[in-house]
Amino acid sequence: MTNDHPIRAEEFELFALGVFPTEESASILAHVDSCPECARKLAEARGRVALLALAAPEKNPPAVVKQRLLEKVRAGESAYVAPVRIRETRPPVRWWNTIWAPAALALAVATVFLWISDRGLERQLHEIQRATQTYQKETQHAQALVSVLAAQDTVTVKLDATPAIPKAWGYVKFNPRMGMMCYTADLPEPPPDKVYQMWAVPMTGNPVSAGVFMPSALHNGHMPMAKVPTGMDCKWFCVTVEPKGGKPAPTGPKVLVGTL
Amino acid sequence: MSRAQGAEQQNDSDWSLLERIVRKDELALAALYDRYSGLVFAEATRILRDSGAAEEVLQDLFYQVWRTAEKFDPARGSLPGWLLVAARNRSISRLRRRSSRDDEELTENSVVLPCTLETTAAQNQLLGRVKTVLSSMPDGQREAIELAYFEGMTHSEIAEHLGAPLGTVKTRIRSAVEILKQALA
Repeated sequence: MTNDHPIRAEEFELFALGVFPTEESASILAHVDSCPECARKLAEARGRVALLALAAPEKNPPAVVKQRLLEKVRAGESAYVAPVRIRETRPPVRWWNTIWAPAALALAVATVFLWISDRGLERQLHEIQRATQTYQKETQHAQALVSVLAAQDTVTVKLDATPAIPKAWGYVKFNPRMGMMCYTADLPEPPPDKVYQMWAVPMTGNPVSAGVFMPSALHNGHMPMAKVPTGMDCKWFCVTVEPKGGKPAPTGPKVLVGTL
Repeated sequence: MSRAQGAEQQNDSDWSLLERIVRKDELALAALYDRYSGLVFAEATRILRDSGAAEEVLQDLFYQVWRTAEKFDPARGSLPGWLLVAARNRSISRLRRRSSRDDEELTENSVVLPCTLETTAAQNQLLGRVKTVLSSMPDGQREAIELAYFEGMTHSEIAEHLGAPLGTVKTRIRSAVEILKQALA
């Protein structure tokens, strides 16, 4: 070290090697910037020290590095292809992360809404299916009723009152070819736990049940229909009072009777 | 590129290649890369002990040459010297997780090599000389100077690392540098 230079000639290699403390290096660098002679000596010392790099084990880079470099050169900085390397750093916070949580929340709310809506629609669908089935049954009933009423070989049998209910009346439409019959009656409400039951009585054999009914079910022109054996040789029809659910054979009092 | 073109580019001087790089000649950059990438990559890998990181240093350095070739003044130093010094600085900065100046200009850190490295033969010859010189040093000297160069350690850090007196470390490094200077003169 001289009065003019903060570093001795034999120390330039040591400085280039970087073994001096940081503070000392800073003052030397500041001097070198303004001293051409020291700058030249430092450049030469750097060159000698740099040759230590040749002591590293020989190793050639993979061909892909050159390929990436040339691709980067061709594409320009705007399409910079960074070397592929696994880093042990936390993933960067992306801008879309800030909208991800609200978007997920909105999606969850929409899912719940759609689920509720779907449940409502499912309930409506069931109601529509039930209504459709009812409509189909009524349609089939109406078609069968019309076919019986319109058939030329359908006969009408008037039902007369008995002393049990003197003011009662009714009639039966019967078609033995079709094995179908329908009927209506004007009767008071039966006693509690009782229903009316229609019977078709053949010339021979036991009476055949044509179903149970309540007078309220005959309002608005509704006519119950019943299937009886085809070609049945019916002698007469009667309505009896039976326990709820009906009986396989008449047990109660007759309230209406009609002869074919 | 034909074999004739390749041979021609092998004979081109660094300065000639640099002039063509200034004119955005990709073949010149490829030739310069072929000439020095092995040295730079070996150095960076030795310092970082990580091939992937060394590849990044290598690619970044040559891309900087491509972008700022016009700023390089051959009168102030040699290009391979700058490549070796810059590769070392950047690798040590990464190793120590220091902020590095990857944008340092080619005009900074002028480096004058005592010999040429433009040909493979010259590189091989010099490589042999450096390894011979280092292997001839006592273990303590060689270890100290390698810690300084490849680990970027200061006198104090080397002394602490080796558990040796600071004065001893300074002497070992000074002696190693003198041997190197004389061998490469």
